Amino acid sequence: MATASAVRPSLGAAFRLTSSNIPKRISPSLTQTSPLSTAAPLLKRHTYPNARSNKDMSKSRGQSALRRTGLRWRLSVSDDPLPKPKPREELPPVEVDPDHGLWDFFPNRETVAASPEDDMKHGRGWMVEELRGKSWEDLHKLWWVCVKERNRIATGAWERERGRLGFGKSEAQGRDREVRITMRGIKHVLTERFYAWEDAVKLAENDPEIDLSGKGRPFTPKEYLEGEAAEEEVLEFKAEEEGEAVVPPPQGKAQGEAARL
Amino acid sequence: MQPTRALLGMRYRKLRLTTKDVNKGFYKGTGSGSMGRHTSRGGYIIEWNKVRTFVCPDLTGFKLTPFVTNNVKRTYGQYDTKLGPKDPQEYLARWKSENGLD
Repeated sequence: MATASAVRPSLGAAFRLTSSNIPKRISPSLTQTSPLSTAAPLLKRHTYPNARSNKDMSKSRGQSALRRTGLRWRLSVSDDPLPKPKPREELPPVEVDPDHGLWDFFPNRETVAASPEDDMKHGRGWMVEELRGKSWEDLHKLWWVCVKERNRIATGAWERERGRLGFGKSEAQGRDREVRITMRGIKHVLTERFYAWEDAVKLAENDPEIDLSGKGRPFTPKEYLEGEAAEEEVLEFKAEEEGEAVVPPPQGKAQGEAARL
Repeated sequence: MQPTRALLGMRYRKLRLTTKDVNKGFYKGTGSGSMGRHTSRGGYIIEWNKVRTFVCPDLTGFKLTPFVTNNVKRTYGQYDTKLGPKDPQEYLARWKSENGLD
């Protein structure tokens, strides 16, 4: 069967035989004409013996990125049009999550730092006496509210410094001081409460109403029991001290879960 | 290459010690705290009970702020005993009344 190459002349052959590619002085072997006397020597370029090469040793001659000269040799993509960047106004708006947690670092969505007037609008820090009445959950949450407020103040100070926005450092420091006073108070209250608890556990060992062993209820108030039962409990306590067998105190009327301290 | 001229000679002795100074035995921390222990082969084992974990509670619906209004005067607590708020008897009495019979 006839192969494709036999039907169509190869591209290389076609290239060679186009009129523009044939050198003006063709060698006698390609054509059928008689050899000319000057054919062969004319093909060779005239060079002197021991002549130095004439090539440009500097491959990047004239090329400068700073002066934007462009490339020295054309590339296959040289004629391709360069893409032009879109102006900033035409770019699609950046999608922002309105509920992102990082928004809490700023006082509002428009500014990076609170103005001095807004920073001055604060009260005083919590007093220790005011914090003593609060539960663990409230104190824990208040602590983290303080942490977030301090982060907001610190972000504002950083941005004010970086962007040279102007005054406001002194007001921010005053606000930060009050927040730190509150945090100090929270730590004090929790430490105090812990130490008092430690001492109370020690005291409770000698308290007849309290039983922290895990068996039965931790607290059995004396008023709950009847008169004889209260005396019985006191006797039991004395017996316990003397090392005799202990009868566990009777259960109170109210049913409740044994809440360990 | 040469060290900075300001650090040459006797002037270096007047600067504060860094973690890179002195021979074996001198330890200077960087304020991050101890998170574990070194092994004899130069490694480090992290002890997870020493590593800090920060637990932030859910703050939705929490109304307290770090500040108290200036209209409320500062009042100090009044306690019967000398120990005051640190008194364990007070603590026990309060526990009994508020928490004992859960």
